[in-house]
Amino acid sequence: MEITSQDFKAVSGAKLKDEKLQKALFQAKDGFVVSRAKVIKDLDNFETIRQAASDVRDHCLAHLDEYLEAWESQAKASGTVVHWAESYEELNALVVKIAQDNQVKKIIKSKSMVGEETGLNKYVEGHGIEVKETDLGEYIIQQAGEYPSHIIAPATHKSKEDVSDLFAEKHQRPRLEDAEKLTHEAREILRPHFLDADMGITGANFMIAETGSTVIVTNEGNGRMTTTMPRVHVAISSIEKCIPTLDDFALMMRLLPRSATGQVISNYVSMTTGPKREGDHDGPEEFHVIILDVGRTRVLGSELRDALRCIRCGACMNHCPVYQNVGGHAYGWVYPGPIGSVLTPAYNGIENAIDLPNAATLCNQCGVVCPVKIPLPDLMRKLREKQYEKDLKSKTEKWSIKLWAYLAVRPKLYSIVTRVMARAGKMLGGSSGQIKTMIFAAQEWTKHRDLPTPRGRTFRDIYVNNKKVNKR
Amino acid sequence: MSARENILSRIRSANKVGEIRDAIGGAVEDRLTTHPASPLPDLTWNDTERFKQRCEDAASTLDEISQMDDVPEAVSRYLTENNLPTSLVCWPEFKKLLWSKSNVEAEIRSALGDDKVGVTGSYCAVAETGTLVLLSGQEHHATTSLLPETHIAVVRRNRIVKTMEEAWQLIRSEVGSLPRQVAFISGPSRTADIEMTLVYGAHGPFRVHVIIVDS
Amino acid sequence: MRVGLFVTCLADLMRPSIGLAALELLERAGCEVIFPENQTCCGQPAYNAGDRHTARDLARKVVSEFSDVDYVVIPSGSCGGMIKTHYEDLLGDSPDDEAKVQWLSARTYELTDFLVNVLNVDSFDTSFQGTITYHDSCAGLRELGVKEQPRKLLRSLPYVELKEMPGAEQCCGFGGTFSVKYGDISSRIVDLKCDDVESTEADALVLGDLGCMLNIEGKLRRRGNHKTKVLHIAEVLTGRNGEETE
Ligand code: SF4
Repeated sequence: MEITSQDFKAVSGAKLKDEKLQKALFQAKDGFVVSRAKVIKDLDNFETIRQAASDVRDHCLAHLDEYLEAWESQAKASGTVVHWAESYEELNALVVKIAQDNQVKKIIKSKSMVGEETGLNKYVEGHGIEVKETDLGEYIIQQAGEYPSHIIAPATHKSKEDVSDLFAEKHQRPRLEDAEKLTHEAREILRPHFLDADMGITGANFMIAETGSTVIVTNEGNGRMTTTMPRVHVAISSIEKCIPTLDDFALMMRLLPRSATGQVISNYVSMTTGPKREGDHDGPEEFHVIILDVGRTRVLGSELRDALRCIRCGACMNHCPVYQNVGGHAYGWVYPGPIGSVLTPAYNGIENAIDLPNAATLCNQCGVVCPVKIPLPDLMRKLREKQYEKDLKSKTEKWSIKLWAYLAVRPKLYSIVTRVMARAGKMLGGSSGQIKTMIFAAQEWTKHRDLPTPRGRTFRDIYVNNKKVNKR
Repeated sequence: MSARENILSRIRSANKVGEIRDAIGGAVEDRLTTHPASPLPDLTWNDTERFKQRCEDAASTLDEISQMDDVPEAVSRYLTENNLPTSLVCWPEFKKLLWSKSNVEAEIRSALGDDKVGVTGSYCAVAETGTLVLLSGQEHHATTSLLPETHIAVVRRNRIVKTMEEAWQLIRSEVGSLPRQVAFISGPSRTADIEMTLVYGAHGPFRVHVIIVDS
Repeated sequence: MRVGLFVTCLADLMRPSIGLAALELLERAGCEVIFPENQTCCGQPAYNAGDRHTARDLARKVVSEFSDVDYVVIPSGSCGGMIKTHYEDLLGDSPDDEAKVQWLSARTYELTDFLVNVLNVDSFDTSFQGTITYHDSCAGLRELGVKEQPRKLLRSLPYVELKEMPGAEQCCGFGGTFSVKYGDISSRIVDLKCDDVESTEADALVLGDLGCMLNIEGKLRRRGNHKTKVLHIAEVLTGRNGEETE
């Protein structure tokens, strides 16, 4: 997917003014945050489980080559065809090749964020093969010609009215107003495609080394359909999705649905191991898994390594005060919110997403909800350090900090300057006690809010003076 | 070198094999063969009660009967009460049941796109989450729990295990290697992709009815 | 007990009464309070801007200024969090510094945490009268676990009623330079915070961090709300109104 993260400022500004979007974001926030909070109470030892999950992910990353090899040998033993891809182009080309080898005309697809990264749909369609997204959210945005704004709820930026208009136009049917009717109309439209598609593409939430399986977690059942109905199934995944054992998977499943949608478990957890077996009535004749590494190994060897623990639950964005107000599209690539602010620059180059690690208050709400304890604010700060080293930070910010620090290590001078500032600031505020306008960088502050004035004297001055008085 | 080799060698060098790896420890072989358990939450509930509670939370409906022979009657009752069609497809394991005596027309085959009701058994069920565990196979058609608008699942009471971990343990000891698909099903298909409004019957069944059988 | 007071650069410059209040609270509890007069800034702005080198210089300065006290107490969650949870990342790669940092971090407390958990002070008898709502600052809450401590102290005040706002734990949108670099986003976040504050109809918003204070107070006033007082908890506990300079 093309990256537009450099437009963050402009796009986020526009999103703040988009009232329809604001309403949708507000609804989503309420839904996700409240239901997660409710359902984690259901685990008496949530924090212990969270730590264990984080440890398992770390352990697996530390042995990733071995676990991938173990996974591969199990997968092959069950008849899975395993492919590896080092670039988006390579992955896309593999998919098209598999499709062409099998005379595939129509593909049904269940949500895959890796597929969004590689721009798979566009590529495949470019080769004359029809692709139908089947996750309702993905289907909506495919019809609208957009891209997901959230990794769990891709169409969360769209209002019901948007969907009504869209379906009426695309389906050429009377306009429906009710979410239930709209959902069922999509069901009706998509059902025949499930039945006659030649190939299914899914992502993979996890790959299990113990058994060589891939797993997808869905609520709609489209994932199960996609892995069961067509004669060829291709799962696209990336190296860091591997976990050791079935028991480790059970551990992850206590956290993933809870963190993602506030469910105890998602409706359909489908674990696939190889193609159709002898005697089976259903299932694909061929099962391919493509494992991608773009950016992952680079991150593995960097200070951002912890980000690879991510299990893509979306909790960090749901809880992020910035995401909650600007939505996912402002981030300009596949992954929005805090994890996106780390992965986007990490995978695409830090110079291509300067704003993202900076557009955060570092409030750490993301860090405390992340089920695998990724220290997201620390990682964003590391990226800021990288920007600083590469001289990519804004000059104003850089020099303001330098100036401040110059004073701060010279206490005598510092006390004089702050004394003057305290006095001047008080005068500026006048009787209201609030400064209404400032200049230079500070005008951004007073553009949006007052600045309560200093009180005329610094603490240091008062303290030193009081000490003198007391001595006398 | 192939993509595979390139990727694996990049992983090894990123991991500075020998440094970070050894510090974290834990041999791969070991973990894969012993699959150590992780910390579990409090599991002191009664399994059947918990299972029933969680099924209801997941919007499944429930029935309890004392023996397998009563399945057709229970199915028939459910279908009539809900004004649903009384012709269905079911798994071969229910072949011998006297369906016609309960005015149900049952076909033993895998479901097609326009079948309305599918009856399946279940390999086991997980109390913690109210989940049916279905293994695909010659006798266990995957489509039966997927394509019809109504899915009726028969669960033997003594096959209700506490956790997903226990389900894996059972599969390891009874089945050995995994079938093509292990499906964990918890209630009817749903989505909330339009304005967070919960709607049942996104692509899979609109309703799931669970019949717990004693013996 | 020798307690070093780190008053924070913001309080020193913008609102000295917070420092005076903290000083008074500690002295009343019987502490010998040391105020190293050369103290300036903990280095957090530089640290969060990615200027590690500068942050390090300032961190070293703080470490050396507070090397001979039993405790360091700070009327701010974010500066407290900086010293307690981030100095090790900054200075940890030199073994000499590392030991000093660990020593310091173990002794560093946010003011209310110190009052409640070290000094075991749990009641005050000040004249503040009215309803109060408390905003949890992000660093205080999520880096230092400050949640119950200030509430316990506020509840002990005889004429105060504590009224929780919805989303008390939600960030106010300050975020240091974030508030000017992404002014419109910051402004939206603090607007929502003001809605929450106003929904309680409390007489005063009380908090433990001057950054959030300036942000929320500035926004309330800009919205035309001149009624809701915005006070630091130390000011409330000592019966101050935030205005005095002597
Ligand atoms: S970073 Fe953590 S919270 Fe965010 S999506 Fe990944 S696992 Fe979930």
